[in-house]
Amino acid sequence: MKDISKSINKVDNEEKISGKAKYVADYTMDGMLYAMTKRSSIAKGEIVNIEYPDLPKGYFIVNHKDVQGKNIIKMIFEDWPVFTEKNISYLYEPIMLVIGPEKSVLVDIIEHIKITYKEEKPIFAWTDSVIDYHFDKGHGNRIFDDADEIIEHTYETGYQEQAYIEPQGFIGYPEGDKTTLVGSIQCPYYVKNAVIQALGEKDENVRVIQANVGGAFGGKEEYPSLIGCQLAVAVKKIKKPIKLIFEREEDMLVTTKRHPSKTVFKAAIKNNQIIGLKAHVSIDAGATIGLSGVVLSRALLAVSGAYTIDHLDVSGDVYRTNTVPNGAFRGFGAPQMFFAVDMFIEHIAKSLNFDPLEFRENLLVKQGDRTSTNGLFREPVLMPNMIKKVIDESDYKNKIKQYSQKGNFKGIGMSLFFHGCGFTGSGEKNIIKAKVRLKKTKDGKVHILVAAVDMGQGIKTTFRKLIAHMLELDIEEVVFNNPDTDFVPDSGPTVASRTMMIVGGLLARAAKEMKSRWKEVTFTVEKEYEQPDYIKYDELHFIGDAYPAYSWGVNIVEVEVDPVTYQVYIKKSWSVYDVGKAIDEKIVLGQADGGLAQGLAYGYLEVMNHKDGKIMQKNMTDYIIPTAMDMGEMETYLFDNPYAYGPYGAKGVGELPLIGGPAAVAKAIESAINKNIYKIPVTPEYIMELMNND
Amino acid sequence: MVESHIAKTLEDALKTLNSGKFRIVAGGTDMLIQNRSHTGMPIGYKDNVVYINLINELDYIKEDEDNVYIGATTRLETILKSENAPKILKNIIHEMAGPGIRHTATLAGNIANASPAGDSLVGLYVLDASIKCQSVDNTRIVKIKDFIQGVRKIDLKSNEMITEVMIPKYDFSRFVFKKVAPRLSDAISKLSFVGAIRIEDNEVKDLRMALGAVYMTVLRKEDIESKYIGQSIGELKNNIELIIEDYNSFIKPIDDQRSNKEYRKQVALNLIKDFIMKS
Repeated sequence: MKDISKSINKVDNEEKISGKAKYVADYTMDGMLYAMTKRSSIAKGEIVNIEYPDLPKGYFIVNHKDVQGKNIIKMIFEDWPVFTEKNISYLYEPIMLVIGPEKSVLVDIIEHIKITYKEEKPIFAWTDSVIDYHFDKGHGNRIFDDADEIIEHTYETGYQEQAYIEPQGFIGYPEGDKTTLVGSIQCPYYVKNAVIQALGEKDENVRVIQANVGGAFGGKEEYPSLIGCQLAVAVKKIKKPIKLIFEREEDMLVTTKRHPSKTVFKAAIKNNQIIGLKAHVSIDAGATIGLSGVVLSRALLAVSGAYTIDHLDVSGDVYRTNTVPNGAFRGFGAPQMFFAVDMFIEHIAKSLNFDPLEFRENLLVKQGDRTSTNGLFREPVLMPNMIKKVIDESDYKNKIKQYSQKGNFKGIGMSLFFHGCGFTGSGEKNIIKAKVRLKKTKDGKVHILVAAVDMGQGIKTTFRKLIAHMLELDIEEVVFNNPDTDFVPDSGPTVASRTMMIVGGLLARAAKEMKSRWKEVTFTVEKEYEQPDYIKYDELHFIGDAYPAYSWGVNIVEVEVDPVTYQVYIKKSWSVYDVGKAIDEKIVLGQADGGLAQGLAYGYLEVMNHKDGKIMQKNMTDYIIPTAMDMGEMETYLFDNPYAYGPYGAKGVGELPLIGGPAAVAKAIESAINKNIYKIPVTPEYIMELMNND
Repeated sequence: MVESHIAKTLEDALKTLNSGKFRIVAGGTDMLIQNRSHTGMPIGYKDNVVYINLINELDYIKEDEDNVYIGATTRLETILKSENAPKILKNIIHEMAGPGIRHTATLAGNIANASPAGDSLVGLYVLDASIKCQSVDNTRIVKIKDFIQGVRKIDLKSNEMITEVMIPKYDFSRFVFKKVAPRLSDAISKLSFVGAIRIEDNEVKDLRMALGAVYMTVLRKEDIESKYIGQSIGELKNNIELIIEDYNSFIKPIDDQRSNKEYRKQVALNLIKDFIMKS
């Protein structure tokens, strides 16, 4: 049988390249109305009064009074109202939908709705802690009693915007008693369950269908539940098809972003070695808590990076502020922490006068080592060979020596990282309980019935390829349509680098059974998630195996800094990843390039900040994401390291290649300007400040 | 309701402008953005609009012994590809926006938009370009530094339009254009710089420098330049601290969502210094 990694064309290439692929904005229906959102004009306070203009015939207002179920979005932490009733907690908070046939009239109505507020002073400082976590490994803080030196640094990261090509949107319509939504989403069942709760409806009366998704990056994990609920409430009230599509600026001003963070690190040093670490991580949730607790967990779990440190004292807080809610974004807390820890270890090596590469290699995680929560790294760790590969290919050792001389403004940097695959802790077993189905029909075709979404990452291709490969069928014989909750079981959200490893793993089990029963003409096989026996995790105390498996990576980046303008030019990058086994090499390499571009840009290019709660970079002119010209050549290598429970050994791919970007580029800039860097993005303005401090 | 008129000839355009208040749209790459509305709705123009992009008679690049003449509907891409457009201008256009915008946008439009960050303007200031403004009954020629009066403020009467940009021909020993933008393509400048110098027999015969996005308009100080003309190149370099001091008080940038004033100011001075020291 041929190697499954060998690439095939993506199955949706033709329809996407030709423009035939239909996105939610392309849908129209008879009698369709449009919805626009009336938002708050203050960041904190109370609504005192609302004055409405006379509505023309056929125009409607939909607000909290129309919510027949619970006026709260169903998600991990429930504190996000469908429509705000009275209390405003961030600028542009949605208060109501205005609905009708003509957009120009909607704009006019929105302008003429007069809202009076009792304004309060908004909080932007990180003072209101709403979640705090703490755990120890080994002796925890007590190890600092043995230290003969303590090194302390603080690391900061900024906002990042997902910048998907297609803004958020849904079309909703009634089907008898049923309310149906078609949308640009990552998680059909998140939306469905949220709508059931908001409408107070029965399960069978809510249907959610995924339209083609033009990029998501986490931005369409929980946010669509909010506007999906709003639209569902409107559809149920008005009983007509309604379309709600965000404009780009609206999308950038109001949707969730990556949590800004600040990590205070202390290292206990004895005999020139690290004996323990203490870390405190702060993240900014914005106005609602939502997923922030889980984002913080993922950051805390990565506290010692790709290194084994025996004694840890780890804590963190989620702070609520009167700013736009932050949420899921590719990496989910890990990019913030891997930047901080990889910089810190490098800075410690430098201040102890060690060669940073040797110092880091000595600390590297080995198979059998304990994780930050005393779980086990059970699988082989290939990092030494992976590091050697990219060091040789990039000529790293010679270059770092050469570039460390003052005045040439060239630099090279290397990051080491992993990503825990799948949901944190026992989430898969306790919360998600994924179910998949394979169905053989009379025509001999096999239908994949899962709720996983292709948002560009290629799952439409790789799932069909996986099943075709296992059942020895032509890929045309395997059918995988965009998920529709009326037809597919809940296989969980398309997040957390879980899709191929967890959902694909279940599908592979189903395919195995299907193969053994192939003689039957038509039948369905269903499989449900079973947690591997060895996974034991105590969520409350952060003890045990937080993840079933880990993917690994190394990035090396070479840069030049212009000493006149302080601009950074990326010359080339070398990367190596262990994702277990690539189900399609080209698709994994596509994720590798895109993820690294997004990670590097997070590290040096993408600037987003708020002023009095208002996002300042509200369009793609002012929020700078990289073009191909900015990224230089990217050389990528894949190492096979099959994982027993992944299909053909596959582990997580999607988030991994973003995670090492920030530290790699920041270290490359450090080596070019001979200054330590403590925050990202490393902008020319920041580089100028550093270089002025001579 | 706003009225929109598509002019096919210059005469038609000028008559339209004479008949009431109209905004002029050439390439539209700034006008469309400034007047954008929701998807599926008409462009949100607040005034009547006359489209001039189809006026073929203004799509030209001509030259005589002293000047290059660029018509008002000539696309940036046409200028980039032309043999006779000034090299400095071509270098600038090469770094403006991306291919899509360059095929639609015009030089006259970049001037009329009068953004302090307009990339072509730094070049046109250094080259002493003039603007031809025409109305049904009058034609006048204005120097670019007089034409641009402030941020998005220009010396154009409501019945006039720019019909041509006139650029004198100069010979420089060396010139530099530096666009300081956050990325390599498709970006608005944080600041920009053009420096041009002519050296004969080791003597500075001509010296010009212009900076974009560090003041309300492009900053060019001819009085400072003239102080150093006639010096030897060695003297010029020895005077670098004086030159920096001369410019220092005139560079008054702002903080905005793209950068901050400290950066803009320091880099502006660095660029002046770098240009002089490498001359």
